[in-house]
Amino acid sequence: MEHSIRDEASAIVVELAGDVDLESSPSARTILLECVGKGKSVYVDMARVTYIDSSGVASLVESFQSARAGGSGFTLISVSEEVMRVIQLARLDKIFTIHDNLDAARQAGD
Amino acid sequence: MHGDTGIATSGGERLAESLELLADMGRDFARSLDIEVTLQSALTRITEYLGAEGGALFLLEDDETTLNCQCCVGAANITGLTLRSDHGIIGRCVQNNAGDIVRDVASDPSFDGSVDTKTGFTTRSILCAPLSVKAERIGAIELINKHGGDGLFDDSDLTLLQVLCSSAALAILNARMASELVEQEKTKRELELAAEIQRSLLPAEPIGPYPIWGLNIPARTVSGDFYDFFELDDGRISFCLGDVSGKGINAAMLMAKTASLYHCLGKTETRPGKLLARLNEEICDTATRGMFVTLVGGIYDPKSMTARIANAGHEPPLKRTPEGLYESFEAEAPPLGIAVAIIPEDGYPEFDIRLDGGALYLFSDGVTEGKLANGKMLGADGVCKILDENSDMSLAKRLRSVVAGLDRGGDLHDDITILGIDSRTEELSTGQGGGKYAPAAPIVPRLEYAIPARAARLRDVRHAVRRFLEDLGYDGTHVPDIVLIIDEACQNIIRHGYGGDSDQWIEIEVALEDFGLVILLRDFADPVDAAEIEPRDLDDVRPGGLGVHFMREIMDEISYLPREGDYGNILRMVKRATEN
Repeated sequence: MEHSIRDEASAIVVELAGDVDLESSPSARTILLECVGKGKSVYVDMARVTYIDSSGVASLVESFQSARAGGSGFTLISVSEEVMRVIQLARLDKIFTIHDNLDAARQAGD
Repeated sequence: MHGDTGIATSGGERLAESLELLADMGRDFARSLDIEVTLQSALTRITEYLGAEGGALFLLEDDETTLNCQCCVGAANITGLTLRSDHGIIGRCVQNNAGDIVRDVASDPSFDGSVDTKTGFTTRSILCAPLSVKAERIGAIELINKHGGDGLFDDSDLTLLQVLCSSAALAILNARMASELVEQEKTKRELELAAEIQRSLLPAEPIGPYPIWGLNIPARTVSGDFYDFFELDDGRISFCLGDVSGKGINAAMLMAKTASLYHCLGKTETRPGKLLARLNEEICDTATRGMFVTLVGGIYDPKSMTARIANAGHEPPLKRTPEGLYESFEAEAPPLGIAVAIIPEDGYPEFDIRLDGGALYLFSDGVTEGKLANGKMLGADGVCKILDENSDMSLAKRLRSVVAGLDRGGDLHDDITILGIDSRTEELSTGQGGGKYAPAAPIVPRLEYAIPARAARLRDVRHAVRRFLEDLGYDGTHVPDIVLIIDEACQNIIRHGYGGDSDQWIEIEVALEDFGLVILLRDFADPVDAAEIEPRDLDDVRPGGLGVHFMREIMDEISYLPREGDYGNILRMVKRATEN
């Protein structure tokens, strides 16, 4: 798994890429929690995530919960069909805030 | 702090200053990249603060009989000076692990004036405190001659020095432990690189049914065992399995040398006895410290189902006939690397073993002398029993079953290496093609795959399953769903069965039966509670819980099958074919 972080004035955009699986989800978790910890809105760009498993979903859930507790936003953007399928299986599609792209997310005020 | 300590009685201002000095020093130590520089500056501050003319910090050498001056402050530079650790006032301080005030050194019989004589300095009074953490003695700090006043150190000076010394001692101990860790980490990385090179010397796992298969599990990072097999131009297969005496990095290097020699010379010298004689000469030329190698080398001809082997002092190979009878072949010649002269002119003795539908097993003593969970040795009898129980399984599965029960927890076990030659390869293969032993029943497309239980290997599983299903044109269910649940089931084995990454195996079988897709996952872990696969509350997003939920969502049947042999679990999952 690869990642990049773009720290903007009021938001952080984290891009994850590749497989988020049992091997890489601990580092995905650390990266996301660190970003959430800065108190800004976090957008997770999932466009280039090729695979996600339950441990990857769990790290998204934990970061989502942490952002909520801190009163900041946590939004998934550009979620591929494969990843969306797993989020739906976990019945989290109605729980997470999900947008097609960054502009749509910002317009919606998330 | 009690009211009678020096610090408290010397007034609030002094106490605040002392605490500030202590806090500053603590911070410096915590940030320190170079403990020696930090110690020097700490000593300077302590000496100034307590108004001494000079100060020295002594560390106890490893042998504990000498004290070495690590750094000093003041008129005379005695850095590097060594003293006997039971000598002088500072020696007494270290031995008794107690601080001391000597107001007039002339009246203290322990005082050694020889340092003054050398340096030209005149010592009048001494304040010293030990550097120690619990019972571990590290050294001491000594301050000499107080400026001003009556020129004498008092109890409050001693109390403060003792507190400062405790802080310094802890910092020194921490720095030592940190540098040890760095060193260990470096060695570990180097060993891992060596292990990677060693693994590259082992043959690649054959794709599809193959008459020879082997596995090697190093006891430590690197291994003294090895095996190899490679095809010759005429279709025969050269194979070997060896064990270098001893363990550790020297055994690993001799292993690398022997394996490389075998691989290189074995391509042109196809008479096993001659080949072993050549290896013996090469190893005798350079082997040191009485190390030697036991090795079985041979050539297998799949057409005649015959193996011709030569045995240099190794564990006897074991032949199993299709009827389940065993025959072993004792070594008739000594190990490689002992002496050149004792080997006959025409090489090591060779003998032919006709397999005729049976199989031949070679192993290192790490297998037969390996301990089972109950503390007993597996023994050759134990190997035979496991081979009997698993006789209708593929060669790879049989070999993994043999090593599955061996205890790898402790540091005591030996390298584990086993190699098998099976003359029934084609009969056992259930893949397409079949050959002359193909069963009459319709061929079921089947994927057989195995990995060591490591998170980093799950990618390979996903890739293999995806390719298998896509190649079949499988359209029963969304392929990524099947890939996901096999990944999740493997994760559960790694996390809950083996308790994390392990060298133990996970075997994966995916078969496309006419009623649907059948997935079997076999592990060698302790038996699991069937409740583990019960669906859980969706709020439970721990990976295990969520993964099981995925499995339940996607698959139609999930159950544990009765165990085969003494170890492990078999999880069976079915996705029924949809009726179109």
